[in-house]
Amino acid sequence: MKQAHCIYQEDDHRWLAIARDATKPGYIIDTNEYVVVNGDEALLCDPGGMEIFPAVFSALSAECDPTRLAGIFSSHQDPDIISSLALWLEFKPDLKCYTSWLWQSFLPHFGGQDSTFIPIPDPGMTIRLGGLELQAIPAHYLHSSGNFHLYDPKAKILFSGDVGAALLPADHNGLFVEDFSRHIRHAEAFHKRWMGSDRAKRDWCERVSRMEIDMLVPQHGAIYQGADVQRFINWFAALEVGVLRG
Amino acid sequence: MNAPDRNLHVKAPGVSELARIVRVNEEIKAIVSTAFRINLMALNAIFLAKRAGNAALGFGVLSNELRRFAQELTRHMATLRDMTSGSVGSVTGVVQQQRTSAILAEAIRLSGDSVPGVREARRRGATRLAEQQACLRSLDQRLRSAVEETQQLVELGGVLARSAKIEAAYGGTFSPALMQVSTDFAEVIAQIKRSLEILGKERLVKD
Repeated sequence: MKQAHCIYQEDDHRWLAIARDATKPGYIIDTNEYVVVNGDEALLCDPGGMEIFPAVFSALSAECDPTRLAGIFSSHQDPDIISSLALWLEFKPDLKCYTSWLWQSFLPHFGGQDSTFIPIPDPGMTIRLGGLELQAIPAHYLHSSGNFHLYDPKAKILFSGDVGAALLPADHNGLFVEDFSRHIRHAEAFHKRWMGSDRAKRDWCERVSRMEIDMLVPQHGAIYQGADVQRFINWFAALEVGVLRG
Repeated sequence: MNAPDRNLHVKAPGVSELARIVRVNEEIKAIVSTAFRINLMALNAIFLAKRAGNAALGFGVLSNELRRFAQELTRHMATLRDMTSGSVGSVTGVVQQQRTSAILAEAIRLSGDSVPGVREARRRGATRLAEQQACLRSLDQRLRSAVEETQQLVELGGVLARSAKIEAAYGGTFSPALMQVSTDFAEVIAQIKRSLEILGKERLVKD
């Protein structure tokens, strides 16, 4: 069952990873959800699909007061990212959902109304959470045409959505990448097929290389930390993407 | 902590409600198509009565009445159809709310009742569901009243068909043809009665 693991803490500033659910039904892709907590406010990144809502809600509630959730960050529009939106709003109707302006009129099909959505413009924006200033970093076409990652400059954590994702076998259930070369084999086919634009990929790698990142936390698979972050960026920069096979 | 239900097959109680609307719609469609047949049959009967001349004057009057009946029946069915189309939206709202509440209930079961905010969320969901169900119940009542009104109209159609049968007996050489037409009327009206009985038993919401 999903559990929340604290991957960063400094005073009342925390990052929780609700990751790697080995007991979920096999027909549903495994997803990681992240919660940024700062003071009295929390932000949930890519809350996941409807089917896993009870597991995510339960894991989150075990570590943090769910009434403190101020918002949801939706990196893009996929069902495994945000189809649980209506359920989170059922719990807390005044939640705000930050997402690309491109999906502002699509996500209401999952739930919410006009006032629920805060559209993120293409160049990105600052999202305030308590005293924190989180940055929505453009990652368009990686893989979605309106796609954002979330950077916490204080914790030096980049939530990278589907970038860095790995579809790991059930027995690879560690929270962090332990052996980069072994791990990356499980990420290769995913990135080749899902990341559609080489130009967007190169642009992202250049921008992200200049950022201070201690942890790169993807929506699927294990977390990259320390030197593995740059290792991943270099690997991704060299990877041929947008190919059907090979 | 409670054991998680790993295969979250939340029961969707609204499916049967949607199935009921489909059945109601199908029955309405069947009646509308039958009403159209009566209209055509009544037109033919009017021509036949004209050909029969004075011997079928009474039959001609009744055929005109049956035609008016068919037109009135079509109007009634159009009203019923509008009501059921509107009810699809209400039923869908109930279905969504039931599913949402069921998943939230599972989340609360896993997390425990003491988690802040869960009781309020459950209460809000229950209130919304009760409102939506009340709306559906009121629609169901209006539908039932409309079906009852239509049943009364069809009773009148039955009387007209029986009278047409009696008039057919006075149709002279046209009597067998007029008798056949009036028998057809009676059969079709009996068919509509059966459909309305089925419709009268259908409920958009369980009692």
